[in-house]
Amino acid sequence: MDKDLLGNPTTGLERDVARLYGELKALSVREDAPPCVARNARKALACLWQAANDLDLSFEQLYDLGV
Amino acid sequence: MNTPYWNPKNETMPREALDRLKLLKLKRHCEWAIEQSPFHRRKYEKANFHPNQLTSLDDLSRIPVMTRAEWMACQAEKPLFGDLVTATRDQAIRYHLTSGTSGRQPLRVLDGTKDWEWIAEMWCYGFWGFGVRPTDTVFFAFSYGSFIGFWGAHYCCEKIGSLVIPSGNMTTENRVRQIVEMDVTTVCATPTYALRMAQVARELDLDLPSSRVNKLIVSGEPAGSIPAVKRMLEQQWGAKCGDTAGMTEIGTIMIFECSHQPGGTHIIEDNFIEEVVDPETLEPRPYGEEGERIVTSFGRGFIPLIRYRTGDLVMKVPHSTCACGRTGDIYDGGIRGRCDDMKLIRGTNVYPRAVEAIVREYGEIDEFQIVIWRKDDVQDEITVKIEVKPDLDVDVYELLPRMGKDLAAAHEGLRFNVEAVDHQTLPRFELKAKRLVDERGRA
Repeated sequence: MDKDLLGNPTTGLERDVARLYGELKALSVREDAPPCVARNARKALACLWQAANDLDLSFEQLYDLGV
Repeated sequence: MNTPYWNPKNETMPREALDRLKLLKLKRHCEWAIEQSPFHRRKYEKANFHPNQLTSLDDLSRIPVMTRAEWMACQAEKPLFGDLVTATRDQAIRYHLTSGTSGRQPLRVLDGTKDWEWIAEMWCYGFWGFGVRPTDTVFFAFSYGSFIGFWGAHYCCEKIGSLVIPSGNMTTENRVRQIVEMDVTTVCATPTYALRMAQVARELDLDLPSSRVNKLIVSGEPAGSIPAVKRMLEQQWGAKCGDTAGMTEIGTIMIFECSHQPGGTHIIEDNFIEEVVDPETLEPRPYGEEGERIVTSFGRGFIPLIRYRTGDLVMKVPHSTCACGRTGDIYDGGIRGRCDDMKLIRGTNVYPRAVEAIVREYGEIDEFQIVIWRKDDVQDEITVKIEVKPDLDVDVYELLPRMGKDLAAAHEGLRFNVEAVDHQTLPRFELKAKRLVDERGRA
């Protein structure tokens, strides 16, 4: 992700947050994940959603992922 | 990173960029509401509103306002939660409800996992901004029931990394003892209950000002921003007192006082749009004029709250009023009361907060109550009952008329009856105080 929601260039830290956020989203929908992975991944995703929201990297709802 | 801001990027964002961010979130949130909530879809269709009409924040007025009555009606029509919610009950992790005071139907709210992260996050803006850090020990004088209260603040402090002490159903005595014993540095309570705890500490010969408590964070009542109450709290606790305010309808706080204590509370503007309007016409009120606040919250997706009429009275002033560097505007004096708080006594408007501001100037007073009654079925009367601190040598005969005079002077000469009552005869409160009793119209 090169730009934030306002079109400003992202920093290295922001790119790391965005990447991790995307990875957690993908992990949350893995059907082969046992409960200990699936539920903790969702919990972590909720936290990263907050960081991505705070840094204006993403603004979306995640209820369809159970978050 | 050592910073006074929880979110430096957005808390110090230039106003022009902040407005663009709010507009972007507003459009997306309206789109989400239309797609997922029949309540909003119906409402917006009726008003011929579509999110693509939003080209600047000046277009806000195109969105119809939402009221508590509409919310209650939709819950009554489709129990339990109405058709306002955007997701299913299975997708929620928590249920809370409003207290349902005044005989009103309580509002029922559901939230998902990320909603609770957000609820805690808003408190983080406030607690970090007032100086709470991982090294703090934070005590919550709160009963942890279905009322949402300080739940979010509890999670905020866990997120910050502070040591959290929940006090659940402890007695007031046990609470103050634990605050001293555990070297608590930060106490969270309503202003009324913080005063009550200080009173009990005195009775137990516990010296709170000598304790480790250095921050008192209050919420739930307008009193937290009344200067006389704040002074009293700071003296009795020997700690800085910071005000915050929120509401069950949004699940968290939307304003907080920063460590600079500018005499008001910063709006968390990257997560809320706060409008101040004329309660009759809904026309915007400029900086420096009191009006009703209307809130739009971006955090809670389960229940989109868009242009919700709160009934709170506020006065917005520019962010530059405070030197902290935040660009979020300020509500001078926090929440100043409720639009429906006003009582008309013989042609004069009386607000409970204004009475409290005067009564609290008297350090000798422990507790008070305002009683409005009707004399001979004809004339409205207002009586302020006061309890004087028991351990003080106070000339009550001098104090009562002096307070009556001060109250009259602040209310266009309206005559107040001021009566002293025995100590411990007036009610005490743990959460929001109800110090006004209107006996008119009672059988």
